[in-house]
Amino acid sequence: MHSKHATKPKLLWLQGVTCNGNTHSFLNLSYLPTLLEKFDVLYYPAMEAQYSFEEIVRCELSCDVLVFEGTYDPLMVRGDVPLKKILLHYAKSAKTIIAAGSCASFGGMFKASAPERNSGILFDLEEKKGPLVALEEKVINLSGCPIHPEWIGYTLSMIAHKKEILLDDLHRPLELYATLAHHGCTRNEYFEWKVDAKGFGLKEGCLFYEQGCRAPMTHASCNKILWNEVSSKTRIGTPCFGCTEADFPRQNLFSTKTNMSIPQETPLGVPKRSYLTMAGIAKTFHIERLEGKLIDYKTTR
Amino acid sequence: MITKQLVEQIEGEASVYFDIKNEKVDFATVTFPHFRGMESILETKPALDALVITPRVCGICGHAHLMATVRALEDAYKNSGYEVQLTQKAKLIREFTLVMEMIQNHLKWLYLVIIPELNKLLHYDGQKSTLKGAYGASLASKAIALFGGQWPHSSYMIPGGITSDPTHIEVMQAHHHLQELKSFFEKESLGTTLETFLSFESCKDFHALDSDIATLEKHLIEADMHQKGFAHDRFLILGEHTFSERTKLKHTRSFGVDIKFVTTKPSFSPYEKSFAYNALYKNDYYETGPLARMMSSGLPIIKNMHRRFKDSAYSRVLARVFELSFMLQHATKLLDKIDVAEDSVVSLVDIKKVWATGIGVVEAPRGPLIHKVTIEDGIIKNYTIITPTQFNIGSDTKEKPTSVQHAMQRLTKEDALFVFRTFDVCSVCTTH
Repeated sequence: MHSKHATKPKLLWLQGVTCNGNTHSFLNLSYLPTLLEKFDVLYYPAMEAQYSFEEIVRCELSCDVLVFEGTYDPLMVRGDVPLKKILLHYAKSAKTIIAAGSCASFGGMFKASAPERNSGILFDLEEKKGPLVALEEKVINLSGCPIHPEWIGYTLSMIAHKKEILLDDLHRPLELYATLAHHGCTRNEYFEWKVDAKGFGLKEGCLFYEQGCRAPMTHASCNKILWNEVSSKTRIGTPCFGCTEADFPRQNLFSTKTNMSIPQETPLGVPKRSYLTMAGIAKTFHIERLEGKLIDYKTTR
Repeated sequence: MITKQLVEQIEGEASVYFDIKNEKVDFATVTFPHFRGMESILETKPALDALVITPRVCGICGHAHLMATVRALEDAYKNSGYEVQLTQKAKLIREFTLVMEMIQNHLKWLYLVIIPELNKLLHYDGQKSTLKGAYGASLASKAIALFGGQWPHSSYMIPGGITSDPTHIEVMQAHHHLQELKSFFEKESLGTTLETFLSFESCKDFHALDSDIATLEKHLIEADMHQKGFAHDRFLILGEHTFSERTKLKHTRSFGVDIKFVTTKPSFSPYEKSFAYNALYKNDYYETGPLARMMSSGLPIIKNMHRRFKDSAYSRVLARVFELSFMLQHATKLLDKIDVAEDSVVSLVDIKKVWATGIGVVEAPRGPLIHKVTIEDGIIKNYTIITPTQFNIGSDTKEKPTSVQHAMQRLTKEDALFVFRTFDVCSVCTTH
């Protein structure tokens, strides 16, 4: 079974404990066909590729790019072969290893399936304790639950074009994770003038003060590179749950912990005292334009 | 002799253990080897967090899980004395995004699973068309994201309604993506209009087409799939929607149903540990999903197909194509009815006041999805999930075969594996 396109980088997509969400998110990428042309896909969990899974788990092949989706469980067995053996075998030959999604990056949702042993492939939450510590320079974390299609699209394109990808301390590409999910939020003006959303299901108001939004504390580009090319959680009134950070999933995801009606956690890097002063002042303003409905379909007819 | 076959490129993986006698499957058992413990992850969590956790049961039908959760929470409100009256707008948008998820599921199943697997079975080296399924599905996902923010893993349904408050801009954009998807499906898949396709009265009508679907139909006949893969000819629909009503069918006769008769039991897996539970209705195995829903739809072509080929693999596969077509039309009707002036949410008392158990039932792509939640003081005390694949792909003894076990009997191993996939297996849901 020799590849017809031996010069292309060989890509292998392997799964641990997962919901398949990253596999399906990737399929949403608008330039998927042209991107896949640049790789020789050895195995992908949702469609035919060059090899069957049984051939993959024999651990006789090698790959250039290893994508790993799901939480790493050291006791997991796939196709009668320990996952640890499969992962280490392909990680060794790979030039780049991509942790696709928050489970593979930090442990994520399915760390809770077996908290004492499950982890990401490099990190266990924020600690480098995963099975690939020795190969850490190869690992790129694309956290998010699920992975954003454009983020993996970007990363694979950079690899195909042989460009260097700069990473942050948690091994996430800076070009994708240097900003916060808050950047580009269409509710920004409400954030600026501290106008809370009066509840869910409204176009108006900021979700940071009461509805649990973590966008000002979360490294992500969801409001810059839109989901499915059209929207984001905050744009449609759902709070950001901070799914790209190592502590996802937190609890009480739909409410903000407050002290004297100011969020207990302030936007990333902003000194608490200064924030409280500024928020206090902004809250004394009464900006009529931001207090009412943007469009009242019932009366404007 | 027992032979083990690993089945992958379903949602997750499964093992099928075949007992082969005279080159035919005498009996087969199914094992789902992976487990994630979703139900115990949910216990002790704040009730609303379930809206974020349960979509992560499944990457392909997470939206159905979201809807089952929100319905279960609203049922708990009701059982606590606070009945939730959703606005028409919230109902329509929830229904629209659910239908779009079903469409993306069926498109992927068709192009990423069934067409390539059938080619493999017939040893055809046909042109690869897998990415057609991904493209069509991505259009459906866009339409969901306009209201739900993203797909997969949206959490935009909340007790009392939805978090989004769309303008006509989003509704028009959704119409546009849907229209593009319909045109794509008509041109690339059907080779005719949806109207013409849905007005088919006989399987012979396929002969007039020259398209992916016409080829699929021809290949199904070539592989004798109209004479293979019969389940028990019993069907179950439990989710109530604009496109379905609760019912069970024995052959073509319809009967009333009650959710309280659904039970589960550990699956029979003598050769390897399985984490799956079989789902039964009144202690019997039923087929769920597109064939069941289409059987109750009254579409003439489905009646004709069932009269000629019963619940064969042929009927099961083509019922999905018809459901896909039906849903594309239905989605447009739902969009047309949305009145953006209505409220998105009705206000409810704090969930901490809800001390009750609630059940949410939804028709997911593969059939009924049941979530049951008990909440006290805003915290989840207990959460149970029953998924459609537990109905279809159970594993029991030879004396009481499940739908898939019955369908695989007396076939060659290769045919049986194809028939297995006609049920659209979701392993990740099964062993949530």
